[in-house]
Amino acid sequence: MAQLSNATNFSLADFHYNDSKDVLLPPQDFEDWMNDPAVKQAFGFFFQQFLAAPKSNTEILSTLDGQRRRVINLTSYNYLGLATHPEVLQAVKDSIDKYGLSASGAPLVSGTTDLHVKFAKQLAEFKQKDDCLLFSSGYGGNVGAIQGMMRKGDVVILDEKGHKSIIDGVTLSGAKLVMFAHNDMDDLAAKLELYKGKRCLVIVEGVYSMDGDLVKLPEVVEICEKFGAPIYIDEAHSSLMFGPGGRGVAEHFGLEDKIGISYGTLSKSFGAVGGFICANASLVRYMRGYASSWNFSCAPSPIIIAGLIKALEVATRDSSLRDKLWENTKYFKQRLQGMGLNLGHTESQVIPIIIGSSGELLFRFAGEMQMAGLFLQPVDYPAVPSHARRYRISMSSQISKEDMDNALDIIENVIAKGLKKAGVDTLSIKP
Amino acid sequence: MTKQEVIDVIKKNIVDNLDDVEVGDIDPSKGMKDYGANSLDIIEVVSCSMRDLDIRIPRSELADIGTIDQLADKFIEHVASK
Repeated sequence: MAQLSNATNFSLADFHYNDSKDVLLPPQDFEDWMNDPAVKQAFGFFFQQFLAAPKSNTEILSTLDGQRRRVINLTSYNYLGLATHPEVLQAVKDSIDKYGLSASGAPLVSGTTDLHVKFAKQLAEFKQKDDCLLFSSGYGGNVGAIQGMMRKGDVVILDEKGHKSIIDGVTLSGAKLVMFAHNDMDDLAAKLELYKGKRCLVIVEGVYSMDGDLVKLPEVVEICEKFGAPIYIDEAHSSLMFGPGGRGVAEHFGLEDKIGISYGTLSKSFGAVGGFICANASLVRYMRGYASSWNFSCAPSPIIIAGLIKALEVATRDSSLRDKLWENTKYFKQRLQGMGLNLGHTESQVIPIIIGSSGELLFRFAGEMQMAGLFLQPVDYPAVPSHARRYRISMSSQISKEDMDNALDIIENVIAKGLKKAGVDTLSIKP
Repeated sequence: MTKQEVIDVIKKNIVDNLDDVEVGDIDPSKGMKDYGANSLDIIEVVSCSMRDLDIRIPRSELADIGTIDQLADKFIEHVASK
């Protein structure tokens, strides 16, 4: 058995490959690693129990000391507050007696209600595409769509910061996965040149989830048109927020008609759970036959769909929610920049605070912030590069000015002053 | 174990995990990306090689390694210290 000399240098990335002879057991040294006191302490930050809704001000059962604690919450994806919007909650209540808790079947067989049909049509119109498929999870949306349309011998060219669900979809499809350097247009063109003649699909994200920066969509479109490659855009962190109509980053750049497939989640700005893709009618019809996570999963719960129909209405009847989100984001970013913190290249409501390579500082600061009343989860390697460990703020339209100011005070006292005290200069760290 | 034997282990795993690469094609002064490997392929090659050599090195220590030759040097350090 290989020995672990220093447990804190290891991460989940090191135990993915299971070399245990018994398939019912994890790798031999995984248990030792998980039981190391420093590793145990780090994992103690995860799986925090919420005792109330994921609002900007909520209550958790702390895994740090077992106490109930009121916290300002900058970690949940409830960007527009729709998960707790009174009109959305009322729509769910109004639907439950009629539709029950579950769709009780896959969409092809018995899981499709009039609510599913209505919402899919609304989403297709919203994204200015012919048709839409609703998935029960965001992860399943990417996996199913990519597996449903790509085949062995095809090539998927993906930005290296793309989500795991995209990677897993490509793996399942049998297509070759080729990554290009993040937002590096020369590298994208080089990869398309290398695989010229193959069936290629280029996949980008509207907002990159760990960095908050945007895809360079105008350049991507120009290059893809040159090579005749279609574009699949993942708008998980941008739908309902970007663009004059809230339709996403493609609308923001005025390039919706250049997008072949538009993917979104229903668990972030939409405030519920699920995923969807919008595309031309023929492709959607084809995918109904082949996207396994769609036709072999129970359809989304009808009461969730009832809430989502209201959420889409509330978010698009005017721009007030996203206007508030951008007002809050602007204020928060300015104050953080004033503290001299490294926010990477964020251009969105996802705001990283990059503190560098020290896992010890990452978890210590997270603990101190939670004790002071701020729930801001650490993001460790391998989710982000080991030299750029960070916190990731998910700004929300619903947070009050008072909570923002209190959160900023805590961040200044713990992170800004803590980094200074530790002699860490973070501004030169690349995200 | 000699460095050449370590390089042979890495080469075998490159051939097993990448399309259209033969042992004779592989130049250790190059990186796996030069042979069409993406980051997941590299993890697979490194993991299989470490299992074959019965060593475990944290990924964080491998982040700056660019060539197959440098990877073999890193593996040799750990093989020797076992």
